[in-house]
Amino acid sequence: MPFDQKRINGPEVSVPYSVYTDVNKSKSSKPKKSLHKRVDGREHKDLRKIFVKTGVISQAKGSAYIEVGITKVVCSVFDPREIPNKNEYSLQGELFCEFKYAPFACAKRRIHQQDAEEKEFSLVMQRSLEPAVCRQEFPNFQVDVYALVLDNGGSSLAAAIMCASLALADASVPMFGLVTAVSAGFYKDTMFLDLTVEEEVLCNSAPAKPNPPNNHGLIMQAALPQHDQISEFFLVGSINIDCIKQAIETLTVANKNICPVVQQCLVKTVLRALKRKEQEKN
Amino acid sequence: MNDEDMIRVRLAVHRTNTNLSNGDHGMPRYYTPGEEVCSQPDFMRGHGTYMDDNDTLRASVAGVLEKVNKLISVKPLKARYQGEIGDVIVGRITELQQKRWKVDTNSKLDSALLLSSVNLPGGELRRRSAEDEQTMRRYLQEGDLICAEVQNVFADGSLSLHTRVLKYGKLSQGILLKVPPSLIKRKKVHFHNLLIGANLILGNNGYVWIGASIHNTDRTEGGFAQDLSRIPQQDREMCARLRNCILALARSNILLTDTSVIYAYDESTKYSANELLQPEAALDVALLTQQRLGERID
Amino acid sequence: MANTLLSLAEKTFIVHGVDDNYRTDGRNRSEYRPMEVETKVLPHTSGSARLRLANTDILVGVKAEVDTPYPDNPNEGKLEFFVDCSANATPAFEGKGGDNLGTEISNTLTLAYQSSHVLDLTTLCILPQQKCWKLYVDVLILQCDGNLFDAVALAVKAALYSAQIPKVTTATLDGGKADIQLSDDPFDCVKLDVGSFPVLVTLCKNFTFIQIGENCVVDPTSEEEECSAASIVVAVMPNGRITSVVKTGYGSLQPSTLVKTLELAKDIGIKLNAGIMNALKEEDELGSQREIFGFLK
Repeated sequence: MPFDQKRINGPEVSVPYSVYTDVNKSKSSKPKKSLHKRVDGREHKDLRKIFVKTGVISQAKGSAYIEVGITKVVCSVFDPREIPNKNEYSLQGELFCEFKYAPFACAKRRIHQQDAEEKEFSLVMQRSLEPAVCRQEFPNFQVDVYALVLDNGGSSLAAAIMCASLALADASVPMFGLVTAVSAGFYKDTMFLDLTVEEEVLCNSAPAKPNPPNNHGLIMQAALPQHDQISEFFLVGSINIDCIKQAIETLTVANKNICPVVQQCLVKTVLRALKRKEQEKN
Repeated sequence: MNDEDMIRVRLAVHRTNTNLSNGDHGMPRYYTPGEEVCSQPDFMRGHGTYMDDNDTLRASVAGVLEKVNKLISVKPLKARYQGEIGDVIVGRITELQQKRWKVDTNSKLDSALLLSSVNLPGGELRRRSAEDEQTMRRYLQEGDLICAEVQNVFADGSLSLHTRVLKYGKLSQGILLKVPPSLIKRKKVHFHNLLIGANLILGNNGYVWIGASIHNTDRTEGGFAQDLSRIPQQDREMCARLRNCILALARSNILLTDTSVIYAYDESTKYSANELLQPEAALDVALLTQQRLGERID
Repeated sequence: MANTLLSLAEKTFIVHGVDDNYRTDGRNRSEYRPMEVETKVLPHTSGSARLRLANTDILVGVKAEVDTPYPDNPNEGKLEFFVDCSANATPAFEGKGGDNLGTEISNTLTLAYQSSHVLDLTTLCILPQQKCWKLYVDVLILQCDGNLFDAVALAVKAALYSAQIPKVTTATLDGGKADIQLSDDPFDCVKLDVGSFPVLVTLCKNFTFIQIGENCVVDPTSEEEECSAASIVVAVMPNGRITSVVKTGYGSLQPSTLVKTLELAKDIGIKLNAGIMNALKEEDELGSQREIFGFLK
């Protein structure tokens, strides 16, 4: 997506009012509580409920909508087009992904231009989906995938990846398999699966006592569960290797568990399409 | 953690100078662009020079003076390859066009290999059909390496190549090295089957090929078949050593011939192949080679 | 990355070599090419370093400037990475050509340094909500010959090691306005504690064409990079903790392979950290009268 590079955004003058609320009051009690029981009542290794739907945008070749808890992402895929600004012939097609938060998706208002985080997430999305798409089927062409987070309730990147994979399937782009993604977080020795925003913030901050070093960090693993392959592994924080191993295991299982949900949705889509065709015949 | 296992990071203060200057001859006169070479009018203007308004001959490249009778030319030290008919070159296919392949040969312009100047399977007298034109990618595709001879030099300096002798054609497994073309001496033979069992092609264009597969494929089918079998460890080691030796010589500006390469290979045996990546070892090998080459001349 | 064309036979040769643990230049799979580091090469910066890894050439300058902290983190300073893929390296980087690669590298660096275990940004704060240090880490890629990520991270660590931030003598709030004064003695300065700064280890995996198990190589040359479908870039702290993992390339991996790769990366990362620290300490011992070579010789 070519965006306006020459445009200079003025410095941000407004700040969210939450800055002025008493920081110490709200922060101190939270971590301990959620270490035992999560705020929404889940166990540490429970996922939130997932709702998926295809064909939400009629103009796009393929589209999908996903809800994970309160996280809502909509994603659309458009027809392949020739790769712009390229002279050389490339045997493999390309995937272009754009990840964007809606201005009102987060606590803090986002501007309409992609910031560094969104750009990074776009790349992560691209790397997660690339291994799944049969790129040799559309040489010298690129498929555009746009993911828009309407409401960020945590794990929006993982949700966007799943949504994009569904949208690609809905657009009949040939794929080796479906892509699912799950996020996990570490705080001290506790591992959370499918994080909410509060948990993301918690896992991003280092535990107060640096000695001995405690784990903290976020992991996002995208996989092709049907082939037992990991298509992307994205980790930030400071975690020791044993915990990472443990996380990979748990996330691989979680990815496998999600897969049927996505499959079912696709089956429904196909059935619906068949029905429509039959009606047209009659 | 044992000592060998450590990753060593060198410091700039310990940097070694790999330039071997032959002290006894002194530095040759070095001309820079724009410098006056000669103001007498009765000389002929050669490559690397130009005549200004006052009929003074000036250098247009940085290099050393070469004088053949009345012809004055300045030979640049680092130039792209200038082809001559009959040169043996190693090149890489960059593009497929109608009836021809474009080949990167390190010269100023891309060279062309015409479909009519390769041996196609089925013998010399085979006619090139329209079908051949469509299946050119089957024979050579982008990225493939070839060894060829310069058939013709066009007015603009671009080259036309041919591979119509059985020894030319597609190259199989091995390593390509790029060195300045001025380091390759023009000789009768550029194909060397070294005693140690490697085949070496010192292309006139500065591309050096170390071939790994020894059992040379029969070239009756035009030599387009590639040997993709596994190379034995022993040959692999030899190739790696040769590669590092040639790079060591090139870094110290020693002319590459079969003799100098063999000498360097002999001298390098006290190091393991990967140690030759260290600048000290490389310099040592280059120095010893230069000494041995000097002894031979005396 | 700069495109290197290779023929199928050359790729086969390289891939088989990786499988035999004997690469085309004689190295084994976990061996680095010779590298060289020099710090304080740029007098106008707070800290700088130049690192060469074979023909990959990286120049890093660190500049410290005074800024206002972010309203959400009033007690923290700022650290910003910028990677410029200069068109000197390859014409493909000209204009916007190198932007994608540059962003990828700078993002990876940002992630690697994000944890407060690595760099506690509160140490860069001068006056909460008013003034803080902002460290600009500008990376220039002068030449690329494979393995950019590792080389850049090493150079960044060396540059941050040499960085000297002037000491703040007074910092007061005067009627709601911040007033700070810095020591005018150029030798009176604070150094960063690089003891926990990570390095990046790239492990090139998934040599396509021929499926050959779970081998991966460190310090790939550009030819080897061309043969690989996926690499894992791991940021490893000197104590072996991992601060970020990023996958690059278009391939995918099996979970068991990923685990093995991460373990290997950890071991190599510890060694690499030790290697660069040894070199930097050795350079320190040469004293301030050390001759700066820069690009000469």
